[in-house]
Amino acid sequence: MNGPTLDFSFLDATARGSMASKHVDESLDAIDGNMHECNFKAPAVEDFEGFQREVINYVKPNHGTTTLAFIFEHGIVVAVDSRASQGPYISSQTVKKVIEINPFLLGTMAGGAADCQFWQRNLGIQCRLHELENGKRITVRAASKLLANTLYSYKGKGLSMGTMVAGWDLNGPGLYYVDSEGTRLKGQRFSVGSGSLFAYGVLDQGYKWDLTVEEACELGRRAIYHATFRDAFSGGTVSVYHVGANGWTKVTGDDVGELHFSYYPATPVDDVDAHCGGEGKKEAEARAATEASAMET
Amino acid sequence: MSIMSYNGAAVIAMTGKDCVAIASDLRLGINQNQTAAVDYSKLHKIHDRLYLGLTGLIADQLTLAQKLKFKHDMYELRENRVMSPKVFGAVVSATLYEKRFSPYYTEPVVAGLDADGKPYITSMDLIGADASTDDFVVAGDNVESLFGVCESFYKRDLDPEALFEVISHCLTSGVNRDCLSGWGGVVTVVTKGNGTFTRTLKSRMD
Amino acid sequence: MDVVFGFVGYDFAVLVADRAATQQIIVQKLDEDKIVELDSTKIMALSGPKGDCVAFGEYLRANVRLYRLKYGHELDVSATAHYARNELAEALRSGPYQVNCLLAGFDKLKNEPELHFMDYLATCHRVNTGGHGYGGMFCLSLFDKHWVPNMSRAQAMDLVDLCVGEVCERLVTAPTDYLVKIVDKNGCETIVYDATDRLKKRRDLMADVAARMASMN
Repeated sequence: MNGPTLDFSFLDATARGSMASKHVDESLDAIDGNMHECNFKAPAVEDFEGFQREVINYVKPNHGTTTLAFIFEHGIVVAVDSRASQGPYISSQTVKKVIEINPFLLGTMAGGAADCQFWQRNLGIQCRLHELENGKRITVRAASKLLANTLYSYKGKGLSMGTMVAGWDLNGPGLYYVDSEGTRLKGQRFSVGSGSLFAYGVLDQGYKWDLTVEEACELGRRAIYHATFRDAFSGGTVSVYHVGANGWTKVTGDDVGELHFSYYPATPVDDVDAHCGGEGKKEAEARAATEASAMET
Repeated sequence: MSIMSYNGAAVIAMTGKDCVAIASDLRLGINQNQTAAVDYSKLHKIHDRLYLGLTGLIADQLTLAQKLKFKHDMYELRENRVMSPKVFGAVVSATLYEKRFSPYYTEPVVAGLDADGKPYITSMDLIGADASTDDFVVAGDNVESLFGVCESFYKRDLDPEALFEVISHCLTSGVNRDCLSGWGGVVTVVTKGNGTFTRTLKSRMD
Repeated sequence: MDVVFGFVGYDFAVLVADRAATQQIIVQKLDEDKIVELDSTKIMALSGPKGDCVAFGEYLRANVRLYRLKYGHELDVSATAHYARNELAEALRSGPYQVNCLLAGFDKLKNEPELHFMDYLATCHRVNTGGHGYGGMFCLSLFDKHWVPNMSRAQAMDLVDLCVGEVCERLVTAPTDYLVKIVDKNGCETIVYDATDRLKKRRDLMADVAARMASMN
């Protein structure tokens, strides 16, 4: 390159690193330094992407997943399944896919299990540091941005995460979708994972702003249940969390094996209409009656 | 992912004392992750005392089942007797090997009682390598799990009801670690003296 | 990306298909009919490359009609399904018809509606509800939740509303024009379905949610 060289050295240190070092002791530097990408050494190989493709076979991916979160009048509902799969093999039915970052912040997990667990724990540390530095809780907006910045700095290095950050701050409820491509979206309603198409179907058509907390939790549970039914890679249990002004609470955790039969108890064959509400017979009889009376006149 | 596990399946057959049982899951999957139906039995009745279970690609399951049923029924008309399980197994094997170089993507399991009421079970690979045994056979996209549970639960010379219990537990717990099979099951037990019974199993629906 | 789905009701079966004929990124036509009427009581929705769909649909229709002329009676619905599947299976090993289809019909002998699900890999299964492609996936969970046995026509149209609303809201480049065909023992009825209003309602609802959320802070 010819011409004058610009001085980019100010980019070398992270914003936090340079600020923190002024007044924070060395023990914090160690934690802080961990967050810096330079601590993760790149492998000494020529073909980085080929190496990543090979290595990803040895880590436990968590590709099949259904997670959802939505904001309504009384807060946020977060609902997830609990299956971890490696190819067609179910490696666990009891994975915790909601990560409790702090009493007011929840993260959900889709994609690589280790990536999600590590970086959301890391986010927890960053949020706590923010609290200590500023004397007040971090906003959901800021927290999600911290995560998005971290993920963006690893873009192209093979991280796999699709996560929702949900929480309550001084602005009320907040919900962001953040993924390893660097996307960060603010929204009212998200679903992530292989079963998200199925979950969206039930969620969208059942969603209203003025749901009660019970109705909203049931909607979340129902949407995840339907996704576990149709999606091969989702299943296990359905966990539902509610985030309100006083932080999050875990509302329900139901085994899908039992949930299915509580939604669909055995129906007596001779009484299907009364149980299920099909009105076709009534309508056909009414139509036949009007046709008959039309014939008479 | 292999074409053999595109649709997902689990089939088990077991012998008992003067009886034989065959079981399959009920899922019909498409595009790997999508469950299109949960009432698709992989069992095909050949005659009262002979059943065929087919795993693998559903297209070839249906084609092969129709072809084999046709072959059997033609035999029955011509000879005025039904095929013994062993003969039918040979027919299945030969039919599969006919397509040695562009095989039907399906692994069959044959289970039945012969004229003396002696149980016969066999399973094959997709070009007809016959592997007849006297205890149990499994097929599907999760045979490791299925073999595991069958090895630990199976006992020799069980009566029909006990055999039904064992095969049901083997099926429902065998598919618990597989994404692509399950969603309920169906079991048929063929007995020497008391005819045949078929029962549907209730299991996890995820 | 075709949107095709269908389900059975009390004495009828419903098929829904979008009307857009697309090629790569271009919408070539907005009034295409993707549901072939094989005869008066059997209809088939086809999705996939246009050439394959037309070839397969016309071939089936011709042969179903030829059968009636030849033997003096109609193929019933499940026989038609088996015939279609067999054609797909044979084609599978010689450059397949890349068509996914749903065959709906009314069986006059059994006096009940039938729906058969088929994909280009020659899978065939009788179902109560079915859908193809990504559009179909959005509908499947709605069917699981809202479909009940013996639905009336009014209930059926409500369910179509839900499904089309969902597809329009979530599917990338979702079409807004659909054809709904209802087949029963008297024949096939076609309803032209414009989802624009439905989509607008959904958008208004979400705008309302956003506004109420803003007013909360």
